[in-house]
Amino acid sequence: MDESDDSKPLSGHPNRKVRVIAGREIYFDKEDFLKKAEDWTEEVAGILAAESGLEEINETQWRIIHFLRKFYFHYGRAPMNREIKAEVGLSFMELEALFPSGIRRGARRLAGLPNPKTCSG
Amino acid sequence: MKKIKLKINGRTKQFVVGPDRVLLDLLRDDLHLTGAKQSCDRKGQCGACTVIVNNKATRSCLTKVADLEGAEVITVEGLGTPDNPHLIQEAYVLSGAVQCGYCTPGMIMATKALLDQNPDPDTEEIKKALARNLCRCTGYKKIIDAVKLAGRFLRGETSPDQIRPDPAKGVMHVSLPRPSAMIKACGTAEFAADIKIQGALEIAVVRSTEHHANIKSIDTSEAEKIPGVIGTMTAKDIKGTNRLKFIFNDQPLLCDTKVRCLGDPIAIVVAETLEQAKAGAAAVKVDYEPLPVMMTPAEAMADGAVRVHDEFPNLCYQQPQVNGDAKKAFAESAALVEAEFSTQLNHQAPLEPEACVAYLEGEGEDAVLVVIGRSIMIHTHMATLQEALGWENMRYEEPFSGGQFGIKAAITSEGIAGAAALHFKRPVRYIPSIHESMLLTSKRHPFTMKVKLGADKDGKLTAYGNDFIVENGAYMILGIVVILRALEMHSGPYYIPSIDSLARLVYTNNAAGGAARGAGPPQVTFALESAVDMLADKLGIDPLEFRLKNSLMPGQSVSTGAVIEQWPFPEICELIRPHYERAKKEAAAFKDGPIKRGVGIAAHSFGIAEPGDKAQVAVELDLDDGVTVYAAAADPGEGNDSMLTQITAHLLDLPVEKVRLVTRNTDQTTETGPAAGSRITYMVGGALQNALEQMKAAMKEAGDSTYEGMKKAGKPTRYMGTKNVPEGGLDPKTGQGPTFDSQVHNIQMAEVEVNTETGEVRVIKMTTAVDPGPVIHPQNLEGQLEGGMDQGVGYALREEYIHGKTKDWVTFKFPTMKTAFDIEVLTPRETPRARGTLGGTGIGEMTMVSTAPAVINAIKNACGARIFNLPATPEKVLAALAAGK
Repeated sequence: MDESDDSKPLSGHPNRKVRVIAGREIYFDKEDFLKKAEDWTEEVAGILAAESGLEEINETQWRIIHFLRKFYFHYGRAPMNREIKAEVGLSFMELEALFPSGIRRGARRLAGLPNPKTCSG
Repeated sequence: MKKIKLKINGRTKQFVVGPDRVLLDLLRDDLHLTGAKQSCDRKGQCGACTVIVNNKATRSCLTKVADLEGAEVITVEGLGTPDNPHLIQEAYVLSGAVQCGYCTPGMIMATKALLDQNPDPDTEEIKKALARNLCRCTGYKKIIDAVKLAGRFLRGETSPDQIRPDPAKGVMHVSLPRPSAMIKACGTAEFAADIKIQGALEIAVVRSTEHHANIKSIDTSEAEKIPGVIGTMTAKDIKGTNRLKFIFNDQPLLCDTKVRCLGDPIAIVVAETLEQAKAGAAAVKVDYEPLPVMMTPAEAMADGAVRVHDEFPNLCYQQPQVNGDAKKAFAESAALVEAEFSTQLNHQAPLEPEACVAYLEGEGEDAVLVVIGRSIMIHTHMATLQEALGWENMRYEEPFSGGQFGIKAAITSEGIAGAAALHFKRPVRYIPSIHESMLLTSKRHPFTMKVKLGADKDGKLTAYGNDFIVENGAYMILGIVVILRALEMHSGPYYIPSIDSLARLVYTNNAAGGAARGAGPPQVTFALESAVDMLADKLGIDPLEFRLKNSLMPGQSVSTGAVIEQWPFPEICELIRPHYERAKKEAAAFKDGPIKRGVGIAAHSFGIAEPGDKAQVAVELDLDDGVTVYAAAADPGEGNDSMLTQITAHLLDLPVEKVRLVTRNTDQTTETGPAAGSRITYMVGGALQNALEQMKAAMKEAGDSTYEGMKKAGKPTRYMGTKNVPEGGLDPKTGQGPTFDSQVHNIQMAEVEVNTETGEVRVIKMTTAVDPGPVIHPQNLEGQLEGGMDQGVGYALREEYIHGKTKDWVTFKFPTMKTAFDIEVLTPRETPRARGTLGGTGIGEMTMVSTAPAVINAIKNACGARIFNLPATPEKVLAALAAGK
């Protein structure tokens, strides 16, 4: 859905984009989160990181990304900040500073954790 | 003040009360007997507060305590407990008469009063005795069944043990008592307003008195001087985005610069008591600069109309659907019908007001904001609230919920309560009245539809066009989704080679539309199924034959162009055929005189699981070898607890007592999507099946199904199951693309009587044939169908929500025992679906989709009057009769 022209009515699906990344079609929502965590690979993470200005994912960042994914596949939800802090031993401010756009819009997005499913798909 | 002594549940108590204290408040507030519920703003309209006073069923909301000296009061808590229930409570549970459970305590007390006086009442006597007790879920049929069963129990003709399903028959296709039914029947299930929180403050909200205006100023100074008022807050006090984001980010939690709709929230007042909070809200002064008001799409689309939202044009969305050459097909058709239809703005009408409580757990920056509300997607709503409030550390909990029917796809009171708890750092309760609940909730969208339908000389459909405009109201919420769902299902059960349709969505200053049972298909199906009958009539073909002749067949496509693999629709046409023939014969005898009888049918094939749908469920083996299911699968009354429990017990061969469900809080559950779109059995049940199959495979490898055995074998005790539907969407230019992963099919028949002198329509009976795939719990299936058809008849004949004017259950014209009708659910066909959960689908919404057109077609069959605009009020029927003469 193209929202760039605010003089015309929109068309199409409101919460679905498809992109070709690393040779595969991958679906994203309107906030650029993966629709399905299973579509994620480290290569996808690297490409999304580069797009957000992070040239290279460092060891600490990988540790957080892998923790996020492990937590998600065990509990079926993204961890709260308090749960990330308890795992990685960093303060909230340190965590926020580690990723462009912080934990939720940065780390969670790079880790391929989807937004909770809504009625809009 | 007056000292009163009365006996409550066998114990004598004294109270000193003022002249206005009513029994309901005494029971709930002073004695914490919260089985009696409040729905109708203490107007005596709903019966949810019914208790027995001196052997008579009494509406406790109207009963002054000062008048009760020496009285004997029995509440539902005095009747029985979950461990030792009364036979009436057993009868309600075993009859499937308990869905959301909000009306149940009142119903049970009215039943006791009746059976104490009349141990063997007939249907009419039951209807009369329970006429003042409302239910939105059941269609009243199973409640009447429960009263009769209770009578048999009390007369000693049978016993609960004789009625209870035989454990030897397994757990599939068996109507085991719902896990939550008995605590609802005993009044111990806690709904939001029943939760006791020490020191909780009460909330009142200042709401817009204008339909459309700029806010020039908000003065709260006088409110803050009122005794008991703790404080006020406005948009500037909210630290987050202050936006309730759904599809668009267009709805403020508290309006800052502008109001777009009557009732928009502007300020919050918290106080020690509700009366003080209301007095505070009344003292807040809002200075408005009125803007032009647009209450219809035509006004909003007119040249020069001001925008409701600066960021979007009023015509904010449009989606064509084009398949084949419809223009040519129409030109070559042997018969055509063209007509314009409309449906009304409507309220989903759950009985429970939009109650919510919130508090902080812990202190400082580490405090957890706990919101307890009626959401059907607690993880999504928590994420929305985190951003809106600017507070990440949250937990959302779902209490028992008094029905929702789509209304809780949107956030309503939870943003207000959460904001107040954070701002004042005190626990709060926001228990709006039913009138305020109507103002603050989204509604069923009104549609206007220009329809064209063609067929060839053999009666085969050739082309269809539906140019429809959907009034979005003031906020987007789910408007686009409703349009897409309508388009994806708008060719119904039929194969129509050519399609040329256009959907448009328009902002106005009316109440915002949102999810409502069916959400799109009920509106477009009313138009299509009316047009199908008109075309059958034009061609001289019987309506059932015409539908059967045009059924889509496997290998053909729906209107999106998606090719379908399974379509067991013709079989349900055959299933209903003998009943249809019987009804036509019976109706033929009522053609003389002013009362005419008619028969109408309508059908629908309802999509289950949209492209890209996904669900995940965790299961964990417990120390006692039982299993706990973790999933945020909301259950506001449908019976999802039965489904999850019985699938688990079946696949692991466990007794149901060893299956535990954790579904109601965001800390412990998987995020598994909304309890909407009839997707829970198909998607969440499917993910559960997947998880259990993984656990079973591990048990097989371990050679042991016990917790200890699995541990010794080095096997995990927790498994995550998933179900995914392939991604895809409709093409923005053609509306072509994939469709739902499966469908549930139904056909309904209405038998009605029309009084041609008054225009009044009475539904005598609804009959339905369905194919949902293999049935897990027959009673829950019937309960959904019966309740859905009751809602559908209300939609067809009476219900219409007028924002600001519809204020209670009387002005809404809520269905009652008096309007209840005979219902027959034919034994379903159970075609296993290729990817269904144990072959099954879901049925919650399709139950009402066909009802309104079946009723409208029956009216036409009875008296020749066709209704094009819902609801079919007596005035419209008389006008149509006059126009036809």
